[in-house]
Amino acid sequence: MAPLLIDAALTGPLRQAPGRTGLAILAIALGVALGLAIHLINRSAADAISLAARSTYGLAHLAVEGGPQGFDEQLYPIIARVPGVEAASPVVVVQAKLAGRRGALKLYGMDAFRSRLLQPSFAPLTGAGTSGEGPFQAVDALYLSAAAARELEATEGAMKTLKFQVGLQTYRMRIAGVLPQAALEEPAGVMDIATAQWKFGKLGRLSRVDLRLADEADIAQVRKMLAQRLPDGVHVVEPGEAGEDALRLSRAYRSNLTALALVALFTGGFFIYSMQATTALRRRREFAILHALGVTRAQQLGLSLGGAAVVGVCGAVLGLLAGVAIAHAGLNTIGTDLGAGYGGSSGAQLRVRAVEWAVFAALGVFAAIAGALRPALESARIPTADALKSGDVASADPRTHAGMSGLLALSSLGALALPPLEGLPVPGYLAVALLLIAVVTAMPMLIRALVRRAPRMRALSFQLAFAQIGATARYASLSVASIVVSFSLMVSMAIMVTSFRSSLDRWTQQLLPADVYVAAGSAGQSGYFDESSALRLARLPGVERVEYSRSSQVSLAPRSPAVTLIARTLDPPRVQDALWLVESGRSARDAPVSGSQGAVAVWVNEAAADLYGLRPGESIEPLIGERRVETRVQGIWRDYAHPNGAIVMNREDYIRLTGDRSVNTVSVWAAEGVSPPRLQEDLRDSLPQAVELDVRLPGELRARTLAAFDRTFAVTYLLEFVAVCIGLFGIAAGISAQTLARRGEFGALRHLGMTRGQIGGMLAIEGAVLGMLGVLAGLVAGAAVSLILIYVVNRQSFHWSMDLFVPARWLAILSSTLVLISALIAVAAGRRAMGRDAVQAVREDW
Amino acid sequence: MLEVENLAKFFPGTPPRRVLDGISLALRAGEYVAIMGESGSGKSTLLNLIAGLDTPDRGGIVLDGVRIDQLDDAARTRLRRARMGFVFQAFHLLPHLSAEANVALPLALNGVRGAAAARRVEDMLDAVGMRASRHAASNRLSGGEMQRVAVARALVHRPRLVLADEPTGNLDAHAAGEVLALLRRQLKRDQAAGILVTHSEVAAGTADRIYLLGPDGLHLRSPQR
Repeated sequence: MAPLLIDAALTGPLRQAPGRTGLAILAIALGVALGLAIHLINRSAADAISLAARSTYGLAHLAVEGGPQGFDEQLYPIIARVPGVEAASPVVVVQAKLAGRRGALKLYGMDAFRSRLLQPSFAPLTGAGTSGEGPFQAVDALYLSAAAARELEATEGAMKTLKFQVGLQTYRMRIAGVLPQAALEEPAGVMDIATAQWKFGKLGRLSRVDLRLADEADIAQVRKMLAQRLPDGVHVVEPGEAGEDALRLSRAYRSNLTALALVALFTGGFFIYSMQATTALRRRREFAILHALGVTRAQQLGLSLGGAAVVGVCGAVLGLLAGVAIAHAGLNTIGTDLGAGYGGSSGAQLRVRAVEWAVFAALGVFAAIAGALRPALESARIPTADALKSGDVASADPRTHAGMSGLLALSSLGALALPPLEGLPVPGYLAVALLLIAVVTAMPMLIRALVRRAPRMRALSFQLAFAQIGATARYASLSVASIVVSFSLMVSMAIMVTSFRSSLDRWTQQLLPADVYVAAGSAGQSGYFDESSALRLARLPGVERVEYSRSSQVSLAPRSPAVTLIARTLDPPRVQDALWLVESGRSARDAPVSGSQGAVAVWVNEAAADLYGLRPGESIEPLIGERRVETRVQGIWRDYAHPNGAIVMNREDYIRLTGDRSVNTVSVWAAEGVSPPRLQEDLRDSLPQAVELDVRLPGELRARTLAAFDRTFAVTYLLEFVAVCIGLFGIAAGISAQTLARRGEFGALRHLGMTRGQIGGMLAIEGAVLGMLGVLAGLVAGAAVSLILIYVVNRQSFHWSMDLFVPARWLAILSSTLVLISALIAVAAGRRAMGRDAVQAVREDW
Repeated sequence: MLEVENLAKFFPGTPPRRVLDGISLALRAGEYVAIMGESGSGKSTLLNLIAGLDTPDRGGIVLDGVRIDQLDDAARTRLRRARMGFVFQAFHLLPHLSAEANVALPLALNGVRGAAAARRVEDMLDAVGMRASRHAASNRLSGGEMQRVAVARALVHRPRLVLADEPTGNLDAHAAGEVLALLRRQLKRDQAAGILVTHSEVAAGTADRIYLLGPDGLHLRSPQR
């Protein structure tokens, strides 16, 4: 195509409206940047987590793994003798609670000589290749991975020892060295297997056995033979599967965040749509001239879409650069978990793959072209003869698409009925997108109806403003399209986040009825109270009564993430007070704590109910210790703490089944007249130093929970803010385009005697009314989207329910602000349009 | 060169409104005719049909042996691009292009580029007396200047037929006289046929023949030159 033609129909118009073109490029750039940045951070995290999980297996072809409790070490020789197995290395994995500081460090107990066959990079453990001693000269020697050394600030020489809490005892280990980064990618430590078994209460137990196979061995064959020899609860995995398991925990969070980031791009697409549609209406005669001069309709369509593609390419290039910069900044400041607390922030490297550049650039260009498609098709269909007539104006009557809007709304409802895709709420997001498009499609109809029914005022400015909006409802609906989309998303997120936060707050209050909580490590960690220590707390002065809780990890199904088993003091008639029951069977409500027919009574959380399809009255057989125990589900409870599932059973049943009398958390009620803070101090004084940090008042725990929640949602607030900014671009571009096109009208009004102030007032009213229409539609659509987010997307992603809370005051403030900004934009655009001479304005042909 | 045969056009309605019926017209190369008629008589509709911007309900239009009314929109557009030029009442220059670029546009559409195109544009701007203002933005020109540029644009690609719809409607008498003289001169020089649609007797007086369009069809009013 001739460069002049391209300039005439494509680049010229873009140059002629540099402000609008710039905003369109910025809108696409923001969408691409946020999408790419979130994706890169997530992918870097996933790579780091996957690599970390994989690195612990070294050269192993297969591994035999037990559940959370591991398996008997007698199994080791059986495994090692399976034909095809060349080398077998036993491993004990311990979540060692750090003494005197928060959290735990994963420790791998390994046989240094055997592990060396599978992990050549563990050579320092045996002293080979180093001048230092190996761990077998000293049982208390600990090698830290490079990531752990960084996190604990224990680089060689800086820290000599590390203290762990085992039960209520403190065990000190000497840092013998730091492993090379490639040897062990995750934050962890490596120690002698026998010491690990001895010191961390794992005598006779193994967590897994890593296997290297002979060259000629058939992996599938060996896997089959191994499976035949393994007891229930012990299974064979390939190291790659471990990476996938490690990623599963945060997959839903990361997917949802990526979806939210792409919302900015979606809004950018709507912005392009409203901008192009407004431009198409304004350039109606221009398109007609080109057609009259010989530009075919196909060429016109190509040129219009070409203009959008130019905007898309510029936006995509800017967005890609900004996205990488944001991802760099994000990784360096808030870490790969984006503040969610999923961990994995160490060692993540940012490398952008060619396919990522290509996909996000294509997304940006696609959003721009998709947004421009309908206006471009309309431009190409302009009736040339009519448009060339002197005095021709595009019909400003809105085209109502009631049928299309209804169909989209129905499709949205239909999408809600679909099950999640691969565990992700894709149909939920599809329903949100369809609903928003339905609302935007219905906007012309809504605007016309609202303007007809609006109260009339006598002020001239008001009357003129309403006449203008009524006469140009089509332009008006285009101007507000992108603000409807972005504001409705902001409203929906605000309602969802408020609902979630308020439900979480109520949940913590219900689950924390005691005056003080004393914790000695969480599920699977090495810290716990033995029974005598726990009983001693109950006998302390100022203590009225105590309740005990023991958390451990059990397996419900092979190859599924461990489920938390909480054994706690339960008063059968008052289970509803202790747990937030959302569902309980009719018979279950009156059932004894120990279920009928020998089945043990359990209450599962919503995640377990969803993941394993459990309902009250149904039986499950968790692997507790080394045996499957028949249990019956009595009810389902709301839980925001265990996304992989949790089961509650009475502590008496647990002790009967396992003999384990140890305790993780003691809930303490103060005697009358004793203040909880005083009791907290007394409890601290009575406990060994190592557990001092874990004596908490419920208010402190609640504040910590809510702080973690706010940290997690900080990124989402940022993404929402950007989406609304893009929406404001839309309204700014729409209003200013219309206002500039009305210079002749303003000139005529000035000739007729209207002051600049009166015209400004008229424009302010127009802007405010348009803003209000966008806000009203956004509020209604946002409320509907919030219901989808709360009852479908969240439930399918995280398996938790929540009650509906509407932040009415905040929404009122936000709505008023947007209406005000719309009015200001209109006045500012009007000032620009009125800046020229009124006489010239009425004589202008263009 | 142009033959319009028994043309009819109805606008939708109940019953359909007859705009044109039984219109016939023949034009040879270098002929310049004016069509006059009352408002709503169908002058512009006839022009749009001849230009291929609209399609007749009956009858045929043949330009250089090609039945325009039987072509699809894309083919009509290509024919218009190569063989027709337009002058509008409201000038219709592209506002973001300079005078020179507006004139060059039909050449670009017809694939004429480089030095040949530049020379032809320069000649045309010379011919219409707009060479000095060649770089001016088109929306900075006066009405008369805009229409001069529009005439240059209509003729730059040496069309076989030029259609002018009230080209002087927005101009004062002096500017109108200049533009009409220019249009006639250029048509005769290039041996292009021209159809001028106008209400103005003065404007129509510059044509070779004048036709009157009325409810009973198209009739020759009087021989002119």
